[in-house]
Amino acid sequence: MKASKTWKLWRLRVLMIFAVIGPGFITANVDNDPNGIFTYSLDGARFGYLLLWTLIPTTVALIVVQEMAARMGAVTGKGLSDLIREEFGFRTTFFIMLGLVAANFMNIVGEFAGIAMSLDLFGASKYVTVPIAAAVVWLMVVKGNYKSVEKIFLTASFFYVAYIIAGVMAHPAWQHAMVATVVPPSWGAFGNKEYIYLIVATVGTTIAPWMQFYLQSSIVEKGVTPKQYTASRLDVILGCIFTDVVAWFIIVACAATIYVSGGKELQTAADAAAALKPLAGNWAFLLFGAGLFNASLFAASILPLSTAYSVSEGLGFESGVDKKFAEAPVFYWLYTVLIVLGAAVVLWPRFTVQHLLRITVFSQFINGALLPFILIYMLILVNKRELMSTHTNSRTFNWIAWATTILMIGLSVAAIVMS
Amino acid sequence: METVALTELLGRPVMDSAGLVAGRVREVAVVPQEDRARVSLLVVKTKQGDRIVPIHRLRSVDGGKLQVSTAAPDWTTYTASEGLLLMGRDLLDQQIIDVDGRKVVRVNDAELVQERVNGNIALRIFAVDIGPRGAVRRLMRGLMPAGALHRFVQRIPPKMIPWEFVDLIETDPARRVKLNIALDRLATLHPADIADIVEDLAPAEREAIFETLDEGVAAEALEEVDPKLQVSIVNSLDSDKAAGIVEEMDPDAAADLLADLSPERSEEILKEMQPEEREEVTELLEHEEDTAAGRMTTDFLSVPATATVNEVIEQLRYFEGGIESLSTVYLIDVDSKLVGSVPLAKLVLAKPETDLASLSEERVISCNEDAHESDFAATFDKYNLLTLPVIDDKGVLTGVITADDVIAMLRKRL
Repeated sequence: MKASKTWKLWRLRVLMIFAVIGPGFITANVDNDPNGIFTYSLDGARFGYLLLWTLIPTTVALIVVQEMAARMGAVTGKGLSDLIREEFGFRTTFFIMLGLVAANFMNIVGEFAGIAMSLDLFGASKYVTVPIAAAVVWLMVVKGNYKSVEKIFLTASFFYVAYIIAGVMAHPAWQHAMVATVVPPSWGAFGNKEYIYLIVATVGTTIAPWMQFYLQSSIVEKGVTPKQYTASRLDVILGCIFTDVVAWFIIVACAATIYVSGGKELQTAADAAAALKPLAGNWAFLLFGAGLFNASLFAASILPLSTAYSVSEGLGFESGVDKKFAEAPVFYWLYTVLIVLGAAVVLWPRFTVQHLLRITVFSQFINGALLPFILIYMLILVNKRELMSTHTNSRTFNWIAWATTILMIGLSVAAIVMS
Repeated sequence: METVALTELLGRPVMDSAGLVAGRVREVAVVPQEDRARVSLLVVKTKQGDRIVPIHRLRSVDGGKLQVSTAAPDWTTYTASEGLLLMGRDLLDQQIIDVDGRKVVRVNDAELVQERVNGNIALRIFAVDIGPRGAVRRLMRGLMPAGALHRFVQRIPPKMIPWEFVDLIETDPARRVKLNIALDRLATLHPADIADIVEDLAPAEREAIFETLDEGVAAEALEEVDPKLQVSIVNSLDSDKAAGIVEEMDPDAAADLLADLSPERSEEILKEMQPEEREEVTELLEHEEDTAAGRMTTDFLSVPATATVNEVIEQLRYFEGGIESLSTVYLIDVDSKLVGSVPLAKLVLAKPETDLASLSEERVISCNEDAHESDFAATFDKYNLLTLPVIDDKGVLTGVITADDVIAMLRKRL
């Protein structure tokens, strides 16, 4: 009997570590949605390896912000909208939720556009692919439970390896790329307006407001305790590093091919995949296209869900996929409407690619406008001793976090001004 | 009924007896130890600092301005106290327990009723607003004239919880005592409903609930909570508190819980338990979880086969276990071996002098301690049982498996 008990304990311990892996990894990877992929493709296509240096500071910023959200979730056991509601009141929460729904809805349109475009590369019509995708996304969450859905998301995260393979297949100039990753170019490059715009866009696309809400809610839903938190922190850091490694390979793939052959005009992420075909072969094209589809479907599943959760929590409605439709009407309706409308916008015959692009740009605008508020609220909350007891930010961490926040605010303002 | 909302009071100008605006309402406070349902005082923010206005000095609340019957210089200075429930800080936007709806909800606003007492106003807390009326009122505050907003908001259907059905959640133990938070209302709910409520809360709040509830109620509720959460809750409590609750649990549920804890934690709790309960649980812990012995409870009623109906009913009155195990009374011989079983219904219908042996079923269905869960589950189904006695190799009755355990087990597989 004793032997089986020891074995059971070991199994418990190992399972506990695996039990907390997930939220950080998933959230960081959803960052690479169609809009993100397009930005990175453009980076590589227009400026070769010259923008690679932005990735390291970006990763650091992402880790800092995600870590705070994860820590708050583990220590307080409450989601970000709950905390904002309890500490800042109803009106503040309401307006943040409004901004979140607006930004997220437009992002969702972008994801469905990504689904349409990626499968269009393989010849499927959007009138077939988008409704099916919408139905799949809706059913998966409504009929599934959190555990199964999380497993699916984790698998989707790993699929991003496709971009790494595509990058390798593009035969980049490895040494050149490595150096460019750590050494920024000479001052001359910064005179180019498009270059500055892409810096802003690249860093700006990395941290989206909805990510903090989603990560914190996932941590709470998983039931991560302060004791288990170190494993969660590892999960967050690994996720951020992986996602930016993928970004690196996207940039490098486009740099080694499209840029080298003359820097073609790219309008969408699908254009990037198509442009790879003649330059890096069929496989690279396939991987890029499939990767885009995976990213779009993945993001299309997470964004509506996260929005529905955040809004329901913050405004005091019942929420949860384990509840029936009738028990949590606002939650399920919001989720459904976001998906249906998002898909409808993409399917509307009158909307051309131009219109969709404008929506995407506008979504980045709202993200950029909302982010500073979210970051500042987070910093206030994470430093409150009544909330976080011994887990408030250390002084060094606060310095880094505030510096990141001010930088992000500056970049967001720049993005708004420029667009 | 003249009602005024909490957010219609907060921030409003306060006029003293001289007719001058002396300050604004910073907080509306209740002293639960004196009167849980009525406002006790107002905290007014003045240029000289925060002042207290006892509620009986409040003359009127009309037209968005509060009229106090004393002069501002006479008002006492405000000092913070743990025994004060500040409605703005402690109630607004916080989570509370809706005992009637059996869930956790968030407060949008509170409705107060104005009662006239001797020419002055008393404010009684009528209900807590968790619906759109409170939400809209808070959103539009300052954007519309107060009177118009008040009328507009009345058109929105209210979603309220009467104050009598509200239980507050407070994570600080000292404050809980000062605020008289005993969770009496929550304790009246079915344990499964309490468990549902607890599962919706954050860890600190969950711990607070289990520290406050009476141990018997806490034990029953804990049994119904998801096993992973059970572990988390028990680990957050003091060992002696945890032991007190585990003692009150059904031995099989207690054994399952202790088995899920770390060995050190399990030892700590066992040490603090009463010897009798500790022995029962330790015995059950010896067995594999998926066997009959691992699932059974040692709380059952067994009587000698020679007893009469009369004698059994007397014994029933002293039975301390859960009522699920009582649906069948088991008969044992002098060596404690299982020899018969009598359904409770038969017992009730029989004449008091009847011999139990004559009421017993022809064949006594039982299973061995080592029987695997799929086997005894099949037995339950085959013979339509509510309880199944468990015997050891000598035939001695050692425990009883109840249907609810089997149902929980089967649901996991579904």
